[in-house]
Amino acid sequence: MQHSDKIKTILLVDDDIDLLEQNKILMESKGFNVVTAESGKEGFEVFTKIKPDLAIIDLIMEEYDSGFILCHRIKKTEHGKRIPVFILTSATYDTGFKFSSETKEEREWIKCDGILNKPVVVDELISKLNNYFDE
Amino acid sequence: MEELKENKAKELIKESKPKVLIVDDEKGLRLGTQRLLEMEGYHVETAENGTEGIEKGTNNDFDLAVIDLKMPDIDGLQVLAEIKNARPNTVCMIATAYASYDTAIESTRLGAFGYIPKPFTPDELLYNLQKAYTQRVLMLESEQLKKEREANLLELANERSRLSTIINLIGDGVLVINKQGEVVYRNNAVFKNLNIVEAKNNKELLSKLPDKIIDLIDNYLGSDELIKKSYSTQIEIIHNELFVEAVTSPVPNPDGSLAGVAVVIRNITELKKIELIKNQFVSMVAHELKTPVAAVLGFLKIIIDKNLNISEQQRNDFVSRSILRLRSLLDLVNDLLDISRMELKTKQREIVTLDIKEIIKSTVELLEIEAQKRSISFNLVTEESVPVIKADQNEITRLFTNILSNAVKYNKEEGSIKIITGSNENYLIVKVIDTGIGLKDDDKEKLFQEFYRVKNEHTRGISGTGLGLTIVKQIVDSYHGKIEVESQYGEGTTFTIYLPINNNN
Repeated sequence: MQHSDKIKTILLVDDDIDLLEQNKILMESKGFNVVTAESGKEGFEVFTKIKPDLAIIDLIMEEYDSGFILCHRIKKTEHGKRIPVFILTSATYDTGFKFSSETKEEREWIKCDGILNKPVVVDELISKLNNYFDE
Repeated sequence: MEELKENKAKELIKESKPKVLIVDDEKGLRLGTQRLLEMEGYHVETAENGTEGIEKGTNNDFDLAVIDLKMPDIDGLQVLAEIKNARPNTVCMIATAYASYDTAIESTRLGAFGYIPKPFTPDELLYNLQKAYTQRVLMLESEQLKKEREANLLELANERSRLSTIINLIGDGVLVINKQGEVVYRNNAVFKNLNIVEAKNNKELLSKLPDKIIDLIDNYLGSDELIKKSYSTQIEIIHNELFVEAVTSPVPNPDGSLAGVAVVIRNITELKKIELIKNQFVSMVAHELKTPVAAVLGFLKIIIDKNLNISEQQRNDFVSRSILRLRSLLDLVNDLLDISRMELKTKQREIVTLDIKEIIKSTVELLEIEAQKRSISFNLVTEESVPVIKADQNEITRLFTNILSNAVKYNKEEGSIKIITGSNENYLIVKVIDTGIGLKDDDKEKLFQEFYRVKNEHTRGISGTGLGLTIVKQIVDSYHGKIEVESQYGEGTTFTIYLPINNNN
């Protein structure tokens, strides 16, 4: 780990427990500390308690926009404003939905710092995260 | 020349036996004339006074009539007038010894063809009648021509209005532009299909046509050579609401040069909507297939990754979880195949007489183990005599399996499921009442949509394809039945299924 001496904690929120566990294993193997939650509600509870260094949130959980709502709630907190929050989704151009966080306006509107496509390619994710932590 | 004509007329008379009416009060003259004319080939009838003359002359279509001017009862001029009124094509001659200029004028005015002064010689009479008959033939011919012409005109007018009615009735817009780029014909559908509310004249209509159509028309008008091809283009007239397809074709002159362009504008909105629904469905299916595949792929990658160092126990857990995901993927694929088969109506149906009680009983038996695990009890209530229905056993079994397994899956621990079977005059009615988690109003509306699954804190961990109730609805619809849902969130849900009773057996 080149980015910092302190171990970073990542909050993963996904209602698909299989994918949640897989991502947890993969990220832990790269030296991150991972906490998980299975719903938007639980996600916010864990966020408030743990104050992670980064959050990755699945978009569609209990409701179709649970991910956005959680994102919004996190970004409204003081701690949330300081950390990067990513939305995880398989809703892409291919599946007929369009999400983008390319521009500042889009990020403002969606209240997240980036969109990650499912399934996660962990190496890509790690390099993205390292970029963030290096800054 | 004159003689030739005369001979021809004589022959004609012999051939066609003209019918002549002689109206004269003088018996000798009547009989003499009759004998003379019959020898010449005429068919003769006589009337001995005016009254009889009017009666015969108006009731029959005589070719010719010779009317004596002076008769004791009715004046010859009146007889003439009555006959001409009823039979305008009967050629009438007036015969009289009291010829005067006034009567000649009057008889001509009343439609008499000629005037035979009495006494006349046989030759004089025959000559006059020949002339009269020639006139009669001409009159009939011209009347025939007139009738034909009128019939033709009528037909033409009918044809035109029929054609124009047909073109106006069709849903496709039809527009014809001449070589000068002017609108020379348009039906009403042009306005409707292009959403043009008003155009005072054809010039204004032209200015309101979509650019894409103008471009296609200009292709033809701007080309030096005759373009023989048709072109088509799709245009979105109102966003998401009105789509049309415009097809342009050249209209050639007989000499092969361009006379103008015909444009047919078809409303393809329904087609576009179906296309959209299809695309959305494919997207949803892709999404639903991708998730379990990604989960299994993720597990397999972790299992074979030497660097991750997972425990034996974890590995076994991941394999079983992969199997679960693949199983549900298989269920999903099977559900999808069922839906597609049912939609295509290719499913082979075997329509038999079914006892619904038996089907429900065996379905309940299958679900019993699953229900007992969570202490859920079944309670069957049946009317004494439930009518039988005619349907495919597999479909009806599938219908109740989906409904009842939902009632188990979405029930609470120690809940119950009550199944009431009854009927009214037209329907077999099955009510499935569960004490489950219930539905919010929002969910109730979307319940039968493909892939719709209620997501809340209670439904986590309940597996399903999101197609179960879609299939139920399809089966019910295919039998012209109906399904109703009542629900109280947190209390339970009641599905009521109506299947038509076949009264014909």
